[in-house]
Formats: sequence, structure tokens, C-alpha cells
Amino acid sequence: MSESCKVSSERRGDVVILWTDGYINNQGGEEIAREAYVHLEQGARGLVLNLEKTRIVNSIGISILIEVLEKVMDRKGALAFCGLTPTIDKTFRIMGLAQYAEIYPTQEEAIRGVDAKTA
Amino acid sequence: MSTPASTSAPARIAELWKRIGTVLAGDSPLQARIAEAALAATGARDVTLYFREREAWIRAGEGHGGVEPGEVPDPMPHGIFRREDDLWLPLRAEGELHGALRLFGLPDPEAPESAALLAFLLGSLVGAHRLARQVRDAEFELKSRLLELESLYDLGLSLGGQLDLSALADEVLFRSISLTDAGKGTLVLFEESGAVLLERSVGGEVLAGRDAAAWTLPEGGVINNAAASVPTAGMKLAACEKCLAVAISVPGRRLGALAVADKESRDGRVLDFTPTDARLLSLFANQAAAAIETARLHKDAIEKERIERELELAAAIQRQILPRDLPVVAGLEIAAKNVPTRQVGGDYFDFFPLSGGRLAFLVADVSGKGVPAALLVSTVHAAVHLQIDEAKTVAELIGRIDRHLQKYAATRKFLTCFFGLIEPDSGTLRYVSAGHNPALLRRASGAVEQIKATGVPIGMFPNSSWKEETVAVERGDLLCVYSDGITEALDAADEEFGLDRLARLMSAGAPGEICEKVFDAVAAFAGDVPQYDDQTLLLLKRS
Repeated sequence: MSESCKVSSERRGDVVILWTDGYINNQGGEEIAREAYVHLEQGARGLVLNLEKTRIVNSIGISILIEVLEKVMDRKGALAFCGLTPTIDKTFRIMGLAQYAEIYPTQEEAIRGVDAKTA
Repeated sequence: MSTPASTSAPARIAELWKRIGTVLAGDSPLQARIAEAALAATGARDVTLYFREREAWIRAGEGHGGVEPGEVPDPMPHGIFRREDDLWLPLRAEGELHGALRLFGLPDPEAPESAALLAFLLGSLVGAHRLARQVRDAEFELKSRLLELESLYDLGLSLGGQLDLSALADEVLFRSISLTDAGKGTLVLFEESGAVLLERSVGGEVLAGRDAAAWTLPEGGVINNAAASVPTAGMKLAACEKCLAVAISVPGRRLGALAVADKESRDGRVLDFTPTDARLLSLFANQAAAAIETARLHKDAIEKERIERELELAAAIQRQILPRDLPVVAGLEIAAKNVPTRQVGGDYFDFFPLSGGRLAFLVADVSGKGVPAALLVSTVHAAVHLQIDEAKTVAELIGRIDRHLQKYAATRKFLTCFFGLIEPDSGTLRYVSAGHNPALLRRASGAVEQIKATGVPIGMFPNSSWKEETVAVERGDLLCVYSDGITEALDAADEEFGLDRLARLMSAGAPGEICEKVFDAVAAFAGDVPQYDDQTLLLLKRS
């Protein structure tokens, strides 16, 4: 696994897909937040985080993801996750992320879900 | 502070709250909203907001008046006070000091009552905000503990069925790094010899496997923090500031090591690992040790099962080859028996009734055990049956079998063999003993003669030849051919059964009875000592 988390993104209409590759820790979380905030400032309302290339998330990474989620909710937008390992899926559910953000098995389902919520 | 002094207290609160309320409802950070609200409520030129964090003052927000922030008085007076042109408002709630507001350039510097009200409102707001944050942090902490417990439970379940060491290592390492908030981590597993079996790192290597192998950390021990002063001999830590490491071990044996390093914080500092982290890592290491041991035992069990299957197959091959019935030949009484061992050696005996009432027979012992030996026996069996009608003499037959083996045998093995051809009418026995144990010929008189080898084992050297010998078997004489599983059977004192004991069992009785006596005697001699060689006995008595 790479030492630092890489984040890439693509905007599709009002929805932005963010792909992570690596450990979502302080550095990885900051990368995600930075990328997400740029798109939110540019008017995006929906975020889909595809974590299929991430196998580890720590509590700092989770707290940053909660901050991103709060920011999205402040703007009446929606955030969804997809591509989670079973361990990360369970982690998000226990830590409360799944309370306000949907978790989908595939990216396409996540995009459709976020689209429906922000329409 | 332009609120008229004559207005009632509730009205003053309502008026002040109205002024600051709209500003506080915004979505900028709280400290910025408080600063803006203070400016809006007081009409001051500028404002600086300080928060009290861990016994220190932190400048949290300010207005846009460009006024230089002043030194925060320490200790902070309890009530509102003036210093030069500034009015200082300590922000307290429930008796706790949460922050301070410094107002500069107030239009109405003589309004302490309104200032006290503002301090009370903003102090309560900051206090409530802090309380909410503390509740949220406590909730997050509680969920983190729950996650740790769930992870331990899940890891136990997951590792219980995990037999792939690589997947097992990943699972343990990922959870260890994640739950301790470490920046990186390494897991190393060793072979029984101490060589590195597997090495995994995430975020960078914490310890090199070759160094971890020399690690002298006591079983179950934990090293924590201060990587520079790790009290271990031989273990070098890669570039890291603080580390936490434990041994992965089962009683009496170290299986590996698990290390994480550089615990992260939100503000980028490297924190000390906590006792909870150390306990968690130890628990993970214990679970990993149990799972690794289970995986190893499973691997051993599979290997044992494979060997068992191989032996069963070899035994089946052997059973198919050995004659089911003894031939009935006029002038001869015949007995033969083979007792295979669990190890399945390569004993083989056979009879070939030939024209003119003659009988050919052999006892062979193939080198090696298991399937390779059984396959060689099978090859010999095929070669003898193919060549026996072609060869004119016993020596020629043995030569043909040797060449067949040199050409077709899959493995480089050899066999000892006693091959005989007896004419019951005349009693003439022609034979070749290819490196086989001496056969015994008990004369009717009771004397026992040894019939020794006439050449080297078959398949041992290329271009070998064998001398054919002849011996006269008189009526009442008993020929005994056997494999070394009989004479080399061991007792509890590691003594061999030996040729003399076998010779003493040769009597004037029927071959069938003698055969049973021999096997009974060998079994009684060996007792409970496991035997590793097949036992074969072939008896011919000329009647």
C-alpha cells in the first residue's frame, strides 16, 4: 500500500466522485476534505466517495470525513460512500457516518442515490 | 454600549440578543460569528476573541479593524476590566473561564452593565458550544471503544477460519494501524528456523524482518514510545519518532513481531501511544498467534492426510499385485504371506506355473517406500510377466528385467530379488539371488543351509549380469525365502529378530503351519515396537 493517500475527482453534473487510494489518516482525510471543499465552493451538492482502493481508515480520517459530511449537510447536499471493504463498512456504521451518509455497493448506485437526494 | 440605562433588564437582554442573534445564525466558524456579533452589539472599532485551551490562551477570532492584538492578562480578573483603551470581557459559564473578549474603540466606554450582559451571553454561548463539543468528543470516544471491541470480536471470527497467512497478516496489521491511529506499521512472521517467512508494512517499514528475528523482547512484552531508546538487542527501528511493538508468540516459541509507529493527532503532532493502544496491540498479537498456530497445524494435518492417502494408494497397488491364491503344484507344498507395514515398503512375491509341472517363484524387496516403491514393484511385476516366456534361463530373465527397469522405471531405484525355478519331479532348483537375503534350505535331516546372493541387486548398476546356480531339493526339504522385514524386525531393545531365530523355526511341519509360527514369533518378538518394513515369507516343501 502506498505511503500517502491519493485523491482524484470528477464532477458529473451536481455530483462529484472522489476516488481515494491509500490510508485515510490525517493526511488522507485532509486531501479528501481539500478536494471536496473545492467542488462544494464551485456549487457541487452531491459527493460520492469511492474507497475501493482504501483498506485502512483511522479515527482522525473518520473525524475529517464527519467534518466533510457536516459541511455537505449544511449546504443541503448529500454524501454517499461506495467500494468499502467489510471492515471499513462496519467502521463507518459504528462511528455514525452511515447515519447521515448512505453506503452503496457500487459507484453507479451511489451516484443515483446522491442524485435523487439532491434533485 | 448604546442601550439606555433606564430600560428594564429583560428588555435589555432582548435588545442585545436581537442585535447579535442574526450574526450568530450565520454558517461561518463560531469564533468568527462571536467576533462579528460583539462588533454588531457594541459598535466597537475592533475586537479580539481568545479561547482558553489547556491552560493557555489562543487567539480565536478578530474583527477587521486592524488593531494589533494585545497581551492577555494572566491571571484573568474575574469581572470586566479596562486596560488602556480596551475593555476586557472574561467569558465564563458555570464558573469556568472559557475565553475573553477584548473590545477596542467603544463608542460608549461607560456602559459596564451592558458589557456584563454581553459577557454573560457570549460566555454562555462559548460554554454551551464547548459542552456540545465535549459531548460529541465523548460520543466519538465511546464509539471508538465500541469499534475496538467489535474489531477484536471480528478479528477473532475472521482469523478463526483464516488459513492463508498472507491474508491473516494483512488483517491483523490493518486493524492494528487503524485502531491505534498509527502512521505506519510492520508485521513480521518467522519460520521455525528463525528465517523471515513473511513481512508486511503499511506507510513505511517500522522494523526490518531480519532485525526483528534477532529481537530479544520477552514473550508478551511490549515496548512503547521513545523509539530511540527501545530496550531491545538487535532490533533496529526505521525512521520513526515513537513506536509500539509486541511479540507474536505461543508458549515456548516466537512466531513474529507486530509494530506500529507515530500515533497521529488532528493537529499533526506525533502522540505517545496510550496504555489502551498497548493492550489492544497485545490482544491483536495474541489473536494472530493463535490463528497462525492454527494455520500451521492445519497445514501439517493436510500434509499428514496427503501422506495417508499416498500410503493407501501404495497399499492398494501392492494388494493388486500380490497373488490372491497360492498355486497348486504336484510334488510341492506351498505357503506364502505378506504383512505390509503402515509405511508401505516394496515387498513383492509371485508364482508362475510353467509347462511340465515346473514352478517359477520370486521374492523381491524394492528400495524406498510409499508410492514410488509401489510403482517400481508394479513395473517389476509387469516386466517379469512380459519376459518370463521369452527368457531361456533364470539368469537371462533377471538380465531382461534389469534392462527393462533401466529403460522404463520412472525413479532411480533398485530391488533385491530371489528368483527360483523348481522342477518338482527332479527337485532341481535353478535360482538367481540378486543381492537378496540368504534363503534357507532346511534339509529333511534337520540341517539348515544358506543360499547366498549370486549377484548385485537389480537396477543398481548398468550392464550387470547374474550367475545362475543350481541346488538339489530332496523330498522333505523345505526352502525358505523371505524379505528383510522378517530378519530385521526390531524389539524394544533395538535387537533384530535375526537369521538364527528364523532358521530355528524351520521344522518338519507343513509350510502353512511354519509360516504362521514365523509371523507369530516375529510379532511376539517385536511387541509394541512399530515396524517400518514389509514382512514377506515364501515356503516351498518338496513332498
